[in-house]
Amino acid sequence: MLVKDCMTRHPIIVPATMPVVKAQQIMADNKIRHLPVAGDGKRLLGLVTRQRLSLKTDTLGSLNLWDITRHLSNMTVKNVMLPSTKVQTITPERTIERAARIMADHKIGCLPVMENGGVVTGIITEIDLLNAFQEMLGLPVEGVRVTVRMPNRPGEFSKLMTALGDQNWGVMGIGTYPSPKADGFYDAVLKIRLVAAARVEDILNQIPDQEVIDIRNVA
Amino acid sequence: MVDNKASPVLQVKDLAVAYKIRGGEIEAVQDASFVIKRGEAYGIVGESGCGKSTVAWAVLNFLGANGYVKRGQIKFLGQELTQKSKSELRLLRGDQIAMVYQDPMQALNPSMRLGDQMKEVLTIHRGISDAEAEKRCAKMLERVYMPDPVNVMKRYPHQISGGQQQRVVIGMALLNNPALLIMDEPTTALDVTVEAAVLDLIAELRHEYDTAIMYITHNLGVVARVATRVGVMYAGEMVEQGTVEEIFKNPRHPYTQGLMRCVPKLGANKSESILYPIPGRVPPPGNRPAGCMFAPRCDYADNRCQEEHPALRALDNVNVRCHLAEEIDWRQWTPTEDVIAPPAVIAQAAADQPILEAKSLKTYYPVKGSSLKDVLGLGEKRFVKAVEDATFQIKRGKTLGVVGESGCGKSTLVKTIIGLEDSTGGDVKFLGFDITGNLSTRDEQVIKELQMVFQNPDSTMNPTYTVGQQIARPIRRFKTVPNDQVRAEVVNLLETMRLGANYFDRLPRQLSGGEKQRVGIARALASRPDLILCDEPVSALDVSVQAAVLNLLLEIQQKYDTTLVFIAHDLSVVRFFSDEIAVMYLGQIMEIGPAEAIYAPPYHPYTEALLSAVPVPDPTAKQKHIRLQGNVPSAINPPAGCRFHTRCPRRNLLPNGGKICQTEIPPWREPDDEHKIFCHLPTDTLTTFEPVISKEGNG
Repeated sequence: MLVKDCMTRHPIIVPATMPVVKAQQIMADNKIRHLPVAGDGKRLLGLVTRQRLSLKTDTLGSLNLWDITRHLSNMTVKNVMLPSTKVQTITPERTIERAARIMADHKIGCLPVMENGGVVTGIITEIDLLNAFQEMLGLPVEGVRVTVRMPNRPGEFSKLMTALGDQNWGVMGIGTYPSPKADGFYDAVLKIRLVAAARVEDILNQIPDQEVIDIRNVA
Repeated sequence: MVDNKASPVLQVKDLAVAYKIRGGEIEAVQDASFVIKRGEAYGIVGESGCGKSTVAWAVLNFLGANGYVKRGQIKFLGQELTQKSKSELRLLRGDQIAMVYQDPMQALNPSMRLGDQMKEVLTIHRGISDAEAEKRCAKMLERVYMPDPVNVMKRYPHQISGGQQQRVVIGMALLNNPALLIMDEPTTALDVTVEAAVLDLIAELRHEYDTAIMYITHNLGVVARVATRVGVMYAGEMVEQGTVEEIFKNPRHPYTQGLMRCVPKLGANKSESILYPIPGRVPPPGNRPAGCMFAPRCDYADNRCQEEHPALRALDNVNVRCHLAEEIDWRQWTPTEDVIAPPAVIAQAAADQPILEAKSLKTYYPVKGSSLKDVLGLGEKRFVKAVEDATFQIKRGKTLGVVGESGCGKSTLVKTIIGLEDSTGGDVKFLGFDITGNLSTRDEQVIKELQMVFQNPDSTMNPTYTVGQQIARPIRRFKTVPNDQVRAEVVNLLETMRLGANYFDRLPRQLSGGEKQRVGIARALASRPDLILCDEPVSALDVSVQAAVLNLLLEIQQKYDTTLVFIAHDLSVVRFFSDEIAVMYLGQIMEIGPAEAIYAPPYHPYTEALLSAVPVPDPTAKQKHIRLQGNVPSAINPPAGCRFHTRCPRRNLLPNGGKICQTEIPPWREPDDEHKIFCHLPTDTLTTFEPVISKEGNG
């Protein structure tokens, strides 16, 4: 899955001249947390997030009541946005794991997706990645979710596939990762449709050296 | 797929648009609400004058000096558009909202090369370098299936065909990857084959770029093909909204039901089904009824409808604006008595002598070359072979339909018959008289018996003559009736056209399009001709008016036993209306035969392609997907052998990849007595073609 497959195309973007109050209103109305700021030709100028809009008490502390009102009403998106030089971005052809990595490394919630050197074509957020994660494990479809533990060596996975192939079972989603608590082993999570859990357990336990460590019906 | 992307791109709520006029203002749109989501195509249908385009213009605040949004909200990507300043809107228009209108020629600058026009979008809005912009434009043209994009960019708009122009406009609209694409009748002016390609393209782009599309059209078939949800507009209001499947399966509003009854289903013919036009017309914005807008034209209207304005309300899965929506079952509908329903056409006893017989009719237009040799008259003479070897006959009281893409010689054929063009060879016998000679030597009696109805009623009527004078002219000229009875005869004709004597003194500008076309037909009938040639008589009209005009023509045909030649590009209309059909391609008749034989296998490969391109007003119908590549080749230098071989999708069924098609003129295959197909493929192979359109469920 690439960024272009799970990003939101045509995100709401705002001009830098917009009053902050209005930007906040747009975010609330549309239930969004990130607002790319773009100029002519949808070129990225910056990014407004909920955090950027939170009150900075140290600045406000030095102002009196009248000044606060004036300060707020004069403030535009330009004053609060994270400038584009500091915004982490990605392109549509990168992988989503790369997007996840960037977001995790920088502890940020979104990446504007850029094309043609600086034009905003979309946005990818944590929520998009979480959705992609669900899809990869076949979440919306009802079926049997089984976790198989296998030794970390070539040929093990194909044994599992052969077993599935012999039964002519369809796999809705799959994920593998090094076993968190057992060195030298890999776990594979599979979602299988239209079968009974007991039957799956039965068949997969027959594979030599492999073990079903978790099995459940999920919807 | 986890559906989190279906957030709205455009939200229109309670929109009212008014135009200021002398002494007040009129509300063209009164109450329109709809939502278009990402990657969704929203179709808006309705007759002309219902405010469809006004809604589209309001979105962009493109209403002209006297128009303004009076009430309501238009939200685009969360931002209110109605309060935006001109400069903010201009940014949006170029960047995030794009438009494609009906006439591509008006969207293109005729004095600029296409490449320069396209590049401007990128260099100005995006500040992209010229070379890079050029590369990207070429790629976009390729994306919209433009043949030879690099060369096309060097041409001027008039050097490419209408379908190609429209593709350039669509490509240009997509260059900036807009979030919303507004299309106002983008395919109305195009041929069915080109239309089909453009509609495919729209569907593809919608999926690929997640573009929200607002698609305005009056053609129900097109809506069924492109849109996911539909809004039906009537007199400035949304009267029904729902998914395409729901609306076509079970229309709730009487207006939607009326629209459905106006269009012939593909495969319907005049002896089995009747078209029911909606009586009356759309009330003008200044003079709308107090209660339900549709009440004056509605069969179900009661007192409540006259007095109380219905609100748009949810009913099952659709929104409908009708007091009686629950009670109306559209399957139970019976026509009221005042509806013009022609008597069902009874199959006539064995037809007699053919009234018109053409044998190897040829019409060539000489082409002037520009070289010195040509100027001196020494060069080789070249011709546009507009009609080549047309052989057919029509029996009295029957209708011959002629179909084909534009430029295939349909109009030239009828113009040659009527004498507006001189024939180059072959014979045409009308009632036994030869009519190939010069028009000035033609016998007046023959002229009287041959009349024509033109496509555009506006340009065929003298704007300074009254309707009565225009119809009286042929009557006086041919002395159909004594001079003192001319007026009575004209009134009689007007009444046949259901126009009434009070139309006698009106001027053409006081008539609606449908009325003008009726006057055109009355004028053609004035000399009581035996043969009427109709060149696209209904293609410029709204569906309900079209149904009325078609019914009228059927009635006249019954009454006077008139023979008709009927040209149209809408294949369902031709099928409905004609007894026999000729399919033309590049001046050549490719297939001719009884209507029902043309629309079922065996087909000529070209007929098959045409049929698979027709938009069918039924979203559940399965249609074969055959798209012809390229354009109709030039008629100056038509392909050798079979003229269709350059685009034929079935050629490879012949041995050797259809080499024979390139060199030899095909033979006439005759699967039936009257049915002839001009193709190298043997009849047995042609018979194996599957039917193009099949209903889901019942084969």
